[in-house]
Amino acid sequence: MNRAFLIPAIVVFVFLFVIPLGQSFYWSLTDFTGYDPELSFIGLANYSTILNDPSMLAGLGFTLMFAVGTMVVVTLVAIPLAVQMNKAFFGKNFVRSLWFFPAVPSMAILGLVWSYILSPLPSGVLNTLLNRWFGVDAVSWLSDDTLARWSVVFVGVWAQAGWHAVLYLAYLQSIPHEYYEVAKIDGASPRQQFFGITLPLLTPAMVISSFLLLTNGLKVFDLPYTLTGGGPGFSTYTITQSIIVSGVSQGRYGLASALAVMFTVAVGVIGFSQLKLTSVISRRFV
Amino acid sequence: MLLSIGMIAAAILIGVPLYYILVNSFKTQADMVTSPLGLPQEWFFGNWQDTLTDAGMYRSFANTIYVTVLGVALQLVVGAMAAYAMIISSSRTTKILGAVLLLGFIVPGQSTMIPLYRTLVGFNLVDDLNGLVVMYLGGSIFCYFLIQGYMRTLPFEVIEAARIDGASANQIFWRIVLPLIKPILVTVGVFQTMWVWNDFLLPTVFISSPQKKTVVLEVYNAVSEFTTDWPAFMTVTVVALIPMVVFFIFTQRHIVSGLLSGSVKG
Amino acid sequence: MRRTLIVGAAGAAALALTLTACSGSDSGESDGVTTVTLLSWTGEEQMTPVIEDFEASNPDVKIEASYSPPVAEYIQTLQTRVLSGTAPDVFLIAAENKTNLIDAGSVIDLAGEPFMENIAEFNRETYGRDGAEYGLSTSSWAAGYAYNKEMLAEVGYDGIPETWDEFLEMCKKLQDAGHTPFLESVDQMPTTVSAMVGAKTAEMDPSVDDLIFSGESTFEEQWTPIVEEYNRLYTEGIVSSDVVALDGDQVRDEFANERVAIINAGPWIIGAVKEANPELDFTFGQIPGLADGAPYQAGAASPGYAINSASDEAHQEAAKTFLAYLSSPQGVEVMQAQTNDVTVTDDFEPPVDPVFEPMVEPIRSGDLYLPMISWQRSEDILNVEAVAQMQRMIQGQIEPVDVTKAMDAKLATS
Repeated sequence: MNRAFLIPAIVVFVFLFVIPLGQSFYWSLTDFTGYDPELSFIGLANYSTILNDPSMLAGLGFTLMFAVGTMVVVTLVAIPLAVQMNKAFFGKNFVRSLWFFPAVPSMAILGLVWSYILSPLPSGVLNTLLNRWFGVDAVSWLSDDTLARWSVVFVGVWAQAGWHAVLYLAYLQSIPHEYYEVAKIDGASPRQQFFGITLPLLTPAMVISSFLLLTNGLKVFDLPYTLTGGGPGFSTYTITQSIIVSGVSQGRYGLASALAVMFTVAVGVIGFSQLKLTSVISRRFV
Repeated sequence: MLLSIGMIAAAILIGVPLYYILVNSFKTQADMVTSPLGLPQEWFFGNWQDTLTDAGMYRSFANTIYVTVLGVALQLVVGAMAAYAMIISSSRTTKILGAVLLLGFIVPGQSTMIPLYRTLVGFNLVDDLNGLVVMYLGGSIFCYFLIQGYMRTLPFEVIEAARIDGASANQIFWRIVLPLIKPILVTVGVFQTMWVWNDFLLPTVFISSPQKKTVVLEVYNAVSEFTTDWPAFMTVTVVALIPMVVFFIFTQRHIVSGLLSGSVKG
Repeated sequence: MRRTLIVGAAGAAALALTLTACSGSDSGESDGVTTVTLLSWTGEEQMTPVIEDFEASNPDVKIEASYSPPVAEYIQTLQTRVLSGTAPDVFLIAAENKTNLIDAGSVIDLAGEPFMENIAEFNRETYGRDGAEYGLSTSSWAAGYAYNKEMLAEVGYDGIPETWDEFLEMCKKLQDAGHTPFLESVDQMPTTVSAMVGAKTAEMDPSVDDLIFSGESTFEEQWTPIVEEYNRLYTEGIVSSDVVALDGDQVRDEFANERVAIINAGPWIIGAVKEANPELDFTFGQIPGLADGAPYQAGAASPGYAINSASDEAHQEAAKTFLAYLSSPQGVEVMQAQTNDVTVTDDFEPPVDPVFEPMVEPIRSGDLYLPMISWQRSEDILNVEAVAQMQRMIQGQIEPVDVTKAMDAKLATS
């Protein structure tokens, strides 16, 4: 009877995910434009178009870089941050709130704000400050391919680190205090406590957090779109941007659906392998 | 003390863009063009006045509160129930179902927009706040994933003990499991609240009547084809954010309190 | 207990469903008043006075407007609704959706309607095909160069020169005088390139696009000389490659703060620049010509009001009343007061800011060109490709001819 508890989730899943995805799969086999309901069946032609047109996959490289980059950096930032936030110190609530808030406003406005801060002009905020303090010449933050890619990853980390720290913070609550007390009695240094107790016991949280970061990173769209528009050139173009641009602006909904289906499968494979891998690793610890 | 200084400094650095949004809401467009980061040359309250005297704004707030409260509460319930089923059941089918549910995470939202819209037209749920609530139920998969991960860290003996005492699965869920997972419920709840409150994509496509607008749609009133009235945009953004600030400050203490004492007494 | 829980959750969902059933949308008639739904491209603040004035003079038609910000969100929202049969009676046909809307038969032909007669031919043709006209476009926009008169005077000029060589020479003089001569946002098709192609095609028959899209010629053949000239801005060190990361607002702010002498711009910057820097003495000029073209400007007919072909006859008639109002001198005047657009109806003379005066004549006579809207198919695919490749060219990664070759390749495969 416990299985009854799964029913609502399954209903949601079927209605909001399975049926629409099935519809997308059907459309991916047609020449649907997204406007005209009359469509004809064209088999796998959309799939072969994608595989034969390198620019359809122009966003692949950066999408992977963003997903892996934010996953690694956010994890490295969020865990120590959570440990610090779990201690008592003056201004704790204020600090927690501020770190959390980048997750709140819409990406459109954050993209705008950051595009002023990272503007490559000498009048850009960051460039002005660097010049005033260190006498450095204007840096091409968003107009150089490599710097633009890293700038987008940086803003992605900025926006997500605080929330993931709060997630770790929630998990820290499930570590019994006694462990630390025993360790202290045994004379363990804070460093040893961190690596000996905290980190191993946080591995379940890392499994969750990194899976979220990876799958969300692979689906990223808003941030690079508002910050760089995918440029310069195609350097910060993402797969999701390809899907949206082909489906909405270009009236190639069938093609966009095919790309979406392939992408879903790919994210699924990557996401589950990662989940499997981290679970295996975490079992070693616990 | 050192910790305080370090953490506050880091937090302030992180908060610079938020300062930028706030400070520009007190500027005229001209002032913002001249000095985007500085304090206003002259504090200008026109943006605030326009926003706060707009009757439509209040209606949008009411709509947003309705959608957010109902949407997030249902997500949490559905997600927590599914997570609980996964944890207490040992049957193989349940495990497989639980894994399959995760697929819901992977589908890029933008690509299912048109099929979903057509489904909702069929149920007469388009241009309807309840339709939005239904759409946001998609977030329950996310809740499920996070909650089941957290449940795994619970002391299982507590549940076993209750079971031996003859408590039904239902009683265990409501009286024992839910209080124990409060930190994650709050964390996930806060996060989903932020998402639903700020979501632009679904309302813009699904809502067409002005009376049913959500707050975020008001934000985008300042956008036109070639230019955007950024000070107005930022003011409405701040207004839309204030309830979230209050909400977070109010709830965050629950993320870290209660668990240990709860489990000992429970 | 268990039952109540599950029933509870199911009940909440069911409740949500029944609540809706009661509040189904009704755009029906009552007391002889027809409600016309509109998805507006213009923002609420600007559109409300127009609707109020219309309803005051047409008590039997009520406009129920909803708003979606242009461009991408508007296009997506409209697309979703058209496909699902929930599109409003009146919506906008724009460069981005015109081909699809016409192909799908979603809009009705307005040719021959009395309210189309006072509209400039250029605007009627923009949203038409094979003699049919699908959109009521009452204004056009143009972009050229806005320039700081003082800075130009400092190096001995009183306007933008007529030829590109002279323009580059002037930029170098500005540079020697310690000014940043020129900035152009390249997040979209550069205004300069659009205008130069426009100048070229204006002298040709058949046009550049007729030749390219019929397969008689290629982008490589037609566009390369222009892109090469444009690239001199970067190869000769006049403009920094940082422009690839700038949008129109950032360029405008540099101009308003007197940090650059010349920018690419349209009338939409005037208000903000004047407010930010009332002292600034600036005006607009056309984009200089190459050897085979006179000075020209980029621009297009504004999106046109279209009527949904799926609406019933009564609603279509009421919608036409609204369109007739929008094209009447009264409607154009009310709308123009809000948007400051340069209108193109022959029975109304729009008041224009004096700094924009040099661009008004070309707009009203339709001497405008925008590749995106003149291309005959795959407009957005080509535009995305062209912009990205030009950004790479500006960074020095590829040559101008690679840009145009890439465009030809895109056209061939799409």
